Order: sequence, then C-alpha cells, then structure tokens
Amino acid sequence: MIPKGAAGIDHLATRMVTGLLPKAADAYMAADIGLLAGLVRLVAQDFDRAAEVLMSDIEAAAAIFREAAPHVDDEVLKRRMADAAASRPPGLRIETLNAHADVAVRVLIDLHAAVEEARDAGAGWAPALDRTLWAFLDAYVAKRAYDSAF
Amino acid sequence: MTAREEELRSGLGRYLSARWNAATTVEAVSRIPGGASRETWKCQAAIGDTWRGLIVRIDPETSLIDTDRATEYRAIEAAFNAGLPAPEPLFLEHELEWLGRPFSITTEVTGCQSSPDGIPEAHRERLGRRKWQLLGQIARLDPVALGLGEVMPATSVEACALEQVDYWAGVIADDEMHPSPVAEAAVRWLRRHPPPPAQKLSLVHGDYRTGNYLYTPDGDIKAILDWEMAHIGDPLEDLAWSMDPLWSWPNCDLAGRLLPHGEAIASWEQASGLKADPEALRWWQVFASVKGIGIWISSSEDFHNGASKDPILAMAGWLVGDRQEQILVDYLSPHSTHRFYRVTP
Repeated sequence: MIPKGAAGIDHLATRMVTGLLPKAADAYMAADIGLLAGLVRLVAQDFDRAAEVLMSDIEAAAAIFREAAPHVDDEVLKRRMADAAASRPPGLRIETLNAHADVAVRVLIDLHAAVEEARDAGAGWAPALDRTLWAFLDAYVAKRAYDSAF
Repeated sequence: MTAREEELRSGLGRYLSARWNAATTVEAVSRIPGGASRETWKCQAAIGDTWRGLIVRIDPETSLIDTDRATEYRAIEAAFNAGLPAPEPLFLEHELEWLGRPFSITTEVTGCQSSPDGIPEAHRERLGRRKWQLLGQIARLDPVALGLGEVMPATSVEACALEQVDYWAGVIADDEMHPSPVAEAAVRWLRRHPPPPAQKLSLVHGDYRTGNYLYTPDGDIKAILDWEMAHIGDPLEDLAWSMDPLWSWPNCDLAGRLLPHGEAIASWEQASGLKADPEALRWWQVFASVKGIGIWISSSEDFHNGASKDPILAMAGWLVGDRQEQILVDYLSPHSTHRFYRVTP
C-alpha cells in the first residue's frame, strides 16, 4: 500500500508542477502536464474518500427506501426498493461498491420520479419525501466536490 | 520538429499548393492547447515571400463533443459574412488523402488571447459589454436566410426548447458510466416546466463563453471561436449558457468574470432587440447545466472508452462535471441557498 496514500499522490502532482512543467518543450506539453497534475490531485482526494462516499450513498438510499415503502403502489418499484435496502455489497473494493451503489441510485432515480408524480397529483405525503430525496442529492454532490485550483 | 508536425507540414504544403495553384511552403506547425472537440494547429504558409498565419482544425480520433465539421464551418462562414468577428474561413476538406483525417482551415487572428485568466481588469467592463453585444447581434441573425437550414435541423419556436432537452437527455443516457440522479431530476424539472415559445428562431452559437473568443489587451473581441455546437434555436439558450457559473468559477458575482449579470443581460437585450424574461431565462439556465453535464459525461466516456486519452477529456468529465452538478443542485434543491442563482435583470 502507498503510505499515507492521499498525501503521497498529492506529492506526485506537486513534483509534476515544480519539476516537469518548467521543462516542457512547448505550450501544448506544458498545458498537458498542468492538466495531468490537476487530475492527479483529484485522484488523491478520491483515494482517501471513495469507499466512504459510496457506502454512505448505499446506506442513505436504503434508509429512504424504507421510509418510502408504505407510500409506493408500484409493486415492481417496491420490490426493487426492498431488494436494494436489504442487500449489502459483497466486498469493499471500490469497483464492487460502485456497482452496488449504481443499482441503489438507479432505484432512487425511479423512486424520485414516482414521488414527483404523486406530489403533482396532490398526495399529502409526497412533498416531505421529495425534500428527503433532494437532501440525498445535496449530500451526493457535496461529498463528491473536489478541492481544485483549476 | 516531431513526426506529427512534419507530417502536417508536408500534407498542408501539398494541399495548399493544390488549392491555391501555387507552390506553398508551410512552416512553424504547432498544436494549440485547450481545444477539446478537434485538434487545433497553427502554422505559417507562404507563396513566395508572402506569409500568412493559418489555423487548422483536424477531426480527432475522439472528441469531447460529437459534431459535424460542416455545421461548424458553415456557421463560421455565416458569421464572417454577416460582419461578426470570426476567423475568415478558407477551406473545408472532407477527403483523407491530405492529412489522414478531415479538416478545415481559417486565417489566424493575431495579437489576441482567449484565456479567462488574462482578462485586463482595466478593460473588463468594456470587454463584457462587447461580449454580450456581439451575442445580441448573433441573436439577430436569421439562420435560414444565411443558408444554414441546409446543414442544421429545422425546428420551431414552440418545439426548440424541449427538442434540446430530448437531445441532451439522450446523450446523458447513452454515455453515462454511472447513474446521474441530479441530471435526471433536472431533466424531469425541465419537462414539467416548459418555457414559453421562443421570441424568434435565431442562430445559436451553442458554446458562447469566456474562453471561446479572442480578445485584445485593450478589451476588444476580434474573433468568436468554437462554433461546433451551432444550431437553430431560442436565442435565450446562448444567453443562459454564456452566464453559467462554470465560466466564472469559483467567484460567481460576475457573469463570465466580466459583468454583473444584470448588465450582461441589458447589453444583450439592447443589441438583440429581445427581452430576457426572467422565468424563461431561468429555464434556459437549468437547461444549460443539463447540457453541460451531457458534455462532461460524454467527455468522460470518451476518455475511458475512446481512442484518445487526452487529459482535457478527463478534466472535463471528472472536475467540471462535478461542478456542474453543484450548480444544478443549487438551482433546484428546496434546501438551496442559491449561491449561483442570479438572473434578475
């Protein structure tokens, strides 16, 4: 394992900017090195947080599915929600977590569309659940935000 | 000189000699950084002792935006002929025998830069007014009268908005590598709240923003670039895109880092003779971010699955896409503090 992975990767980006960029043969290569260094800094941030981001997606979606279940009439959607809420990722590799989170988020998208339809039809329970779903999206975006000078 | 530069020098020399019916020398071939949709190169070409700077746009193996080179070339041609600042179009070549891929050639516009980092503070307001006045002039153009109906899909004032939504929702669905819950929520919002019919159909540049025009140190705009997403549509689409918070990130007080949003809109209204209805403009601002996400998702998909591993594709897909989602949530979430939402004229 890379010791202190996020910091170690970030050091590589710094080296690219301070060591390689000044020696670039032309403007195009300099721009490429700058972009690559910026991307390496993004990798450093994801290295540290990726598992937490994806696990929190899976857990937050499961909580919403349990909250929404009593209101959902669509049996197929209800079954998909129940399956997603009950299942756990079979491993902790990022690829595995990503695949599991993708399934949960796809169900959540369909639930959100159904809740919006119910809200527009006047269902009293729907506005609160819509706000809960937007809170999920707020958090979904906030926890993925990169700190970048670009 | 790299092997690629030598290949282009030779191929362009043969091509220009044939097109100009005179022996043409090509030198100083170098790639311009930043172009994401096509490879952009500059060079010097000479017949005898007369040198001329040229810009060559070559179809890439893969690109950030899937576009038709003829649409881009014809849009530049129309803008140039209408008296707008645009590079003079010289040649559009579809045959592969010269450079191995199709390409177009325009004249080089010298003495300018495009980087948003170089905007001269002393001339910022002048540059801003000029930017949105020019956009207003584009909005005045009748694309059918300019002959662009031959290369751009027809539409109507009633249908153009939702046609654009359908197109970009399709791009997202086709290219996403993970589900896009924010973009999908935004697409549903756009379809539930359609804007009023466009005031008119005009030429829409499609990517009118800071970075896509060449300006002089004293704040004049000499060339509008990157017409590859030009189409016929609602002129508010360009206005909204030009003010997207991405182009002034992270400080979004000034549209495009140039003018307060109200002043940008006023300059556009004066030049276009149109009104920017706040609710309609809001709809187009949400649309702009959905379109942005479509572009960033496509670029990421190209980077991962396409032939090119150009880092600009990854930067667009990873970082810019992330920011675009922040903007969309800010626009639409009921919990938003509306950090980015400033459209009131």
